[in-house]
Amino acid sequence: MGLLTNILLAPFLGPVWGTKWTLEKVDRVVRDQLTDDTPVKEDLMALQMQLEMGEIDDDEYVRREAEIMQRLREVREWREKFGMSTSGGPVRVAESGESDQ
Amino acid sequence: MTAAESVSAATDPAFAEGKYVYCIIRNDRSREFGEIGIGGSGARVYTVSHKDLAAVVSDTPIVIYDPTRENVLAHEFVNETVMREFTLIPMSFGTIFRSENDVKALLNSTYQAFTDVLDKMQGKIEFGLKILWDRDLVVAAIERDNDEIRRLKDEITRNAASSTYFARMQLGRLVEAAMEEASNRYVNHIHEQLKEVSVASRSSKVIGDRMILNAAFLVERKDEKAFDEKVKTISLQYEDLLTFKYTGPWPPYNFVNIKLKLEKAT
Repeated sequence: MGLLTNILLAPFLGPVWGTKWTLEKVDRVVRDQLTDDTPVKEDLMALQMQLEMGEIDDDEYVRREAEIMQRLREVREWREKFGMSTSGGPVRVAESGESDQ
Repeated sequence: MTAAESVSAATDPAFAEGKYVYCIIRNDRSREFGEIGIGGSGARVYTVSHKDLAAVVSDTPIVIYDPTRENVLAHEFVNETVMREFTLIPMSFGTIFRSENDVKALLNSTYQAFTDVLDKMQGKIEFGLKILWDRDLVVAAIERDNDEIRRLKDEITRNAASSTYFARMQLGRLVEAAMEEASNRYVNHIHEQLKEVSVASRSSKVIGDRMILNAAFLVERKDEKAFDEKVKTISLQYEDLLTFKYTGPWPPYNFVNIKLKLEKAT
């Protein structure tokens, strides 16, 4: 066993290791994307800027704001599913001394 | 709590009323700030005190407020109103406590940090300055002032048919570099002039591709006029090239960073 097995079985084991590693990595990337609200907040700021500059009208703003709010809610739900902290909603002083915000 | 649940919670009388916290001030008597609270129904804004500190709050159902323009403006309007009389520490948008006692627990547990920051922020206000440029105008100015670029461009125009791909590439690169240099030069020049009339400044990420500066400035109240004048003077210097978006006075949003030890209250 040992080294020889690895060499002999390499064509078989190789791709399996590879796949597992890739899946874990994809999992992490997807999870990071689902739980990151930074791009959504940036879109909201860009939208406000467009309104301020007169590039879009009020109706357009309201319509696109609603879409962005929906995306923010989705990120919040994913964060809750993964047990991560979320902003907004009811809070109290933490007894454990652990920061939640 | 999901958004869907939070909506139904808003209309369910079985849910106890919470306290939406706008900011922390130094004040030992109870105060009223009018019926201007978040939520669209004109909730009464008042203080919850602990020793010489007070939280400015309004009653609210236990919900998650989306940062819509309407909600953010409501939060902002309360802080602007309070700011006319008090130095304040703004709370992050959407912070809700379940009861007055929970708010007092916050004031008690964070008493020292709040007191220190209130001392530091005493008599100071924030201004926002966003600067945008018109790329076409800047490119035109660069082509006018930069000999190398002007020569290369003339050459390409004269020999339109024979001018090489590489000459065009080189022109593009030179213009890009000149634009970055110009942006840095403008921003440094503007910062330099505003340094004299401000206590501190903080730059945030620019929004969109036309913005070259997105900054906040902390200013002594007594210097407000001087700061205003300076921004006006600078905007005249750059009248033809840059658009100035000047806002404030704001509470010191970008200069207060207290990590509150909070947990979800379920």
